[in-house]
Amino acid sequence: MQVGKKVLIVMVGSSNFVAHAWKALLLACCLVYPIVGQGQAASATAQLTITMSVQSSISLIFQNNPAVGTTGFCPLTNPGTNNVGLDLGTAAFPSGSDSFPCVAYAHIGSATYQVSSGFDVMVTKANSSSPNYRLAAEISVAPPANVVWLVNNVTLSNTGFTQLDASDAYGTRVTKTLQVQVKNTVPAQLLQETITFLATAN
Amino acid sequence: MKEYSQIRKIAMIALLLASASLVAQTATGTINATLVNKSAISLIFDSDPGGVTLGGNGSSTASVNLGTISAFGPLAPGVTRPSVTASNYTVRTLFDVQVIQGGVASPNYTLSAQLAAVAPTGFTYAVDAVTLTTAVQTIQANGAYNTDVRHALNLTVSTAAPGAGGPAVGTPLTTTINFTATSN
Repeated sequence: MQVGKKVLIVMVGSSNFVAHAWKALLLACCLVYPIVGQGQAASATAQLTITMSVQSSISLIFQNNPAVGTTGFCPLTNPGTNNVGLDLGTAAFPSGSDSFPCVAYAHIGSATYQVSSGFDVMVTKANSSSPNYRLAAEISVAPPANVVWLVNNVTLSNTGFTQLDASDAYGTRVTKTLQVQVKNTVPAQLLQETITFLATAN
Repeated sequence: MKEYSQIRKIAMIALLLASASLVAQTATGTINATLVNKSAISLIFDSDPGGVTLGGNGSSTASVNLGTISAFGPLAPGVTRPSVTASNYTVRTLFDVQVIQGGVASPNYTLSAQLAAVAPTGFTYAVDAVTLTTAVQTIQANGAYNTDVRHALNLTVSTAAPGAGGPAVGTPLTTTINFTATSN
């Protein structure tokens, strides 16, 4: 109440001086307002909503064995991927050897030779509770008569996957050896297969 | 004859006066119009040609559907996987931010972002190289107005299994990022 009385006195008692003061105040406000307005930073907000669903997955890659280059461990082409090449050179039964020193050559019995080379398989998992995996392999086409393709002494077929391991550990190199056994009656020719390895989470 | 002549003159004058009274009346008026041109900026999201097509493209409330993501499996168009390590992998998409200005005497803007809520377990969000939290983070200090500015949304996902520090699997997960553009 006291404050209100004071204001009333000022207004009532205003004269030309007070009127001019009000005008000056208004003018000052008008002049200052744009400056103050420009001094304030303008801002804008927006929202981006992200949606996704995570899926468990595993991967399989082939790697060179640490002993690569020594007998029995030829280098892979494109190692570290899931699509590699392995050249086993040229071999013949009578010579008892292979053109590549990294290929292991051996006679099996009296009429068959075997060439072999080792490499590593690495399977990793992500967002999975699977404790281990099983590994299988399959060749792409039926080999000529008296030619056998094996991995770690397990004969491969082109009619389905053949299991190699029942429970391999994730994230660990598993060394496998590819073997080709050729009887001495097999005509000279290029022997070629695409071998598909399949890792399945247990 | 003299009388007739006078009568004729009077009639002529009357006709002239009458015709003068037939001239169209005119009126004028003025409109005192005012307009307050307010300074403001707005922020919208635009789909980037190299990224996922945004839901609500061209608006300030857009959405990104990354689809199904995994460390080794296929990804949706517009989603890439720049890195995979033993402990995590990152999926990425691109989006554009456009800040439109009007009446602002500002050379550029500062873009900041923050997560609306704590990220789900196993997820780390980043825009460009800035890892996001629920606190405001500056993404860009000198964004150009009125043009699309490309940004990368990087989502790093733990490879751990669900319940062991990894994300939930097979369940749609949603996160909201709040962006703010402030004129410099």
